[in-house]
Amino acid sequence: MKGIGKRVTVAFMSIVALLSVSGLISLFELSNLSYDTEAILSANSRDLELAKNLLRSAHDHSRAMIDVAIFDKEERKVACRNASDELVAHISSVYAHAPKAIHGSLDTLSMYVTDLAQLTENYKSYEVVVIDSLRSEVRRIDGRGWYVESYEPAYDRFVEQVKEYITLSHGELAPRATQLSKNVYRSVAPVLISLLVMIAIVLMFYYFVYIYGVKPILRINRSLSDYMLFKLPFKPKTVMVDEIKELHDNIENMINISKSNKKQENDAI
Amino acid sequence: MRFSVILRYVGTVVLCLSAFMAVSAGISLVSGDTGFYPLLLSSLLTLLLGAFPMIFVSKADSITTKEGFMIVVGSWVVSCVVGMFPYLIWGGEFSLVNAWFESVSGFTTTGASILTDIEALPQGLLFWRSATNWIGGVGVVMFALLVLPSLGTNKMALSGIELSSLAKDNYRYRTQMVVKILLVIYIGLTVVSTILLKVAGMRWFDAVNHAMSVCATGGFSTKNASVGFYDSPLIEWILIVVMFISSLHFGLIYSTFARKANNIFRSEVVRVYVAIIVGAALTIGASLSFSGTYDNIFTSLRQSVFQVVSIITTTGFATADTNLWTPFAIVILIILSIICGCAGSTSGGAKVDRVLLYAKVLKARLRGQQHPNAIIRVRLDGILQDDRQVNTVTLFLTTYFILIIAGTLTSTLFGMDLLSSFSSSVAFIGNVGPGFGEVGSYDNYAAMPSLLKIQGTILMLMGRLEIFGFIQFLFIRMWR
Repeated sequence: MKGIGKRVTVAFMSIVALLSVSGLISLFELSNLSYDTEAILSANSRDLELAKNLLRSAHDHSRAMIDVAIFDKEERKVACRNASDELVAHISSVYAHAPKAIHGSLDTLSMYVTDLAQLTENYKSYEVVVIDSLRSEVRRIDGRGWYVESYEPAYDRFVEQVKEYITLSHGELAPRATQLSKNVYRSVAPVLISLLVMIAIVLMFYYFVYIYGVKPILRINRSLSDYMLFKLPFKPKTVMVDEIKELHDNIENMINISKSNKKQENDAI
Repeated sequence: MRFSVILRYVGTVVLCLSAFMAVSAGISLVSGDTGFYPLLLSSLLTLLLGAFPMIFVSKADSITTKEGFMIVVGSWVVSCVVGMFPYLIWGGEFSLVNAWFESVSGFTTTGASILTDIEALPQGLLFWRSATNWIGGVGVVMFALLVLPSLGTNKMALSGIELSSLAKDNYRYRTQMVVKILLVIYIGLTVVSTILLKVAGMRWFDAVNHAMSVCATGGFSTKNASVGFYDSPLIEWILIVVMFISSLHFGLIYSTFARKANNIFRSEVVRVYVAIIVGAALTIGASLSFSGTYDNIFTSLRQSVFQVVSIITTTGFATADTNLWTPFAIVILIILSIICGCAGSTSGGAKVDRVLLYAKVLKARLRGQQHPNAIIRVRLDGILQDDRQVNTVTLFLTTYFILIIAGTLTSTLFGMDLLSSFSSSVAFIGNVGPGFGEVGSYDNYAAMPSLLKIQGTILMLMGRLEIFGFIQFLFIRMWR
């Protein structure tokens, strides 16, 4: 490459290109990071919302069953059925979003919902209820007794399972969060590396401009001043390339012409 | 000293690395793994870093010895820095210190790793790992000389610094010829071993990676269980042969093919080297057989030969957990990892040439005491060794052992046991790779404290630059 102007322009354009690349990398990595964080947060809030819905429906179901079984409020049977349907719908919704690793827990949860529904159906049809296989006994329905002995344990099991689901679901999020904490380092690494390369290039740029641009001009200037003031020979000690070399050569030629003109004048006199 | 000229030549070496990163990125693109973006980005950044000095600095007509030293050592250090870019960007197990360790270990062909799960790495990054071994095998500057004919007249100055004085003895050719010999033997051996490994049952990708690694006597494998993963006697024997050839003086290999007088079969150093290998393999094999480590004598010998060749050539491939071997076998293997291969090869370590010369000097001194007036000359491979050469070798070996002791001392300070500390120091400075104890052939350096990892990388670089090159670099300002 020839020409100091061309060299500086190319070097400057390289720095601009690197800056642009660094900017793009930063944007790309930050948007990735933002996307990952958003995914984790939304998964977390979705799980909490689902668990809350499940517990609320179960609570509604329980309240309705108390009204039906203990206080003989027949009109609450509809609320009981609705709560039961909601539970099934929520479970399906959880299945759709939950990772495969916690499907086992969801299967248990689903089974407990079926148990609750089955118990309710049995009660509503005034049939006998099998509470425990070991103590299976046929008896007439006693609302309060049925609720305490049959329904409440099933309800408690269901609530416990929902809590377990929340724990498992958060456990599933934890590795993702850990991965993200590692990825933060990964996300910053390209930006840091580009920054380091840029610092190295800017330092080199400064060095080269100083060595091949500034220093020769300063030396030429000083040498020219020394020549004009003290008549010292014009011999700047520096590396000169391109136009600066031409400048040096031209000054040298001019000095030589001036010297020969002076000599001719002296000879003529 | 012209700093700008140094920057230009170091930049040229960096450009070679950029090309290899681009190839690795291509591999990642084809295999569709996660290594593409880190490798491409690293390649672009490296390209810019290497090409930038060329904008301003024109090709120098000549370079001084001092500038040559700066170029060679600077190229090694900058290569190691640039080499960790893909690792750092990819992430995973690579922290800053781990990436530096892996990069230095790759370029110096040490082959020690901090990775607990090598197979988790994308293919492009695995290729880059092997490429660092391959580039470092002949020396980063020699590699640039091999592939860049534009370096022209400065080849002599640079190759003179990169090659050790002992290595130069067997190159009885002009510099241009030496570079051609290296090119033909190194690339030829890599191609041949790739084909042989493929035929023996490896996948193309694994065959290329193992071939690059074995020709450089590096030891980076694509498998967690190293060569032991294949459990194939054929693959092991192919690797044994290639490791052995790679640890011989490349000039002698060329001379043998060219039917010159100074060939492998007439080389005193090679004869001693072969005797050491055979002796060590047989004694270790017998020890393993008698101790009942393996079922039969053949398995004992097979494992023994592979491990002896792997250690003495400083490759560091593993087919067995040598920590489970007898103490006698472990001691022999540690001695082998101090002696190492021949000068002028891709092997690291003290080199068998120096050890042999040292033994000859010792013998000459003893004879000198018996016959005080006798003039006893020391020759190595028929070449008369002057006092300067003898002193250099003695000083080298002394410094080598001082550094091993210093490394051991520091490691024990950090709570490592004596065997692990000593063997890891020997493995680092000799560019062998695996040690014993906590850093055995089937273990890694992941658990090592960061400061010890950094110390290890300094030892690796010192070993690769034959100690004095590195020390000279530190005192470059005092060089008048």
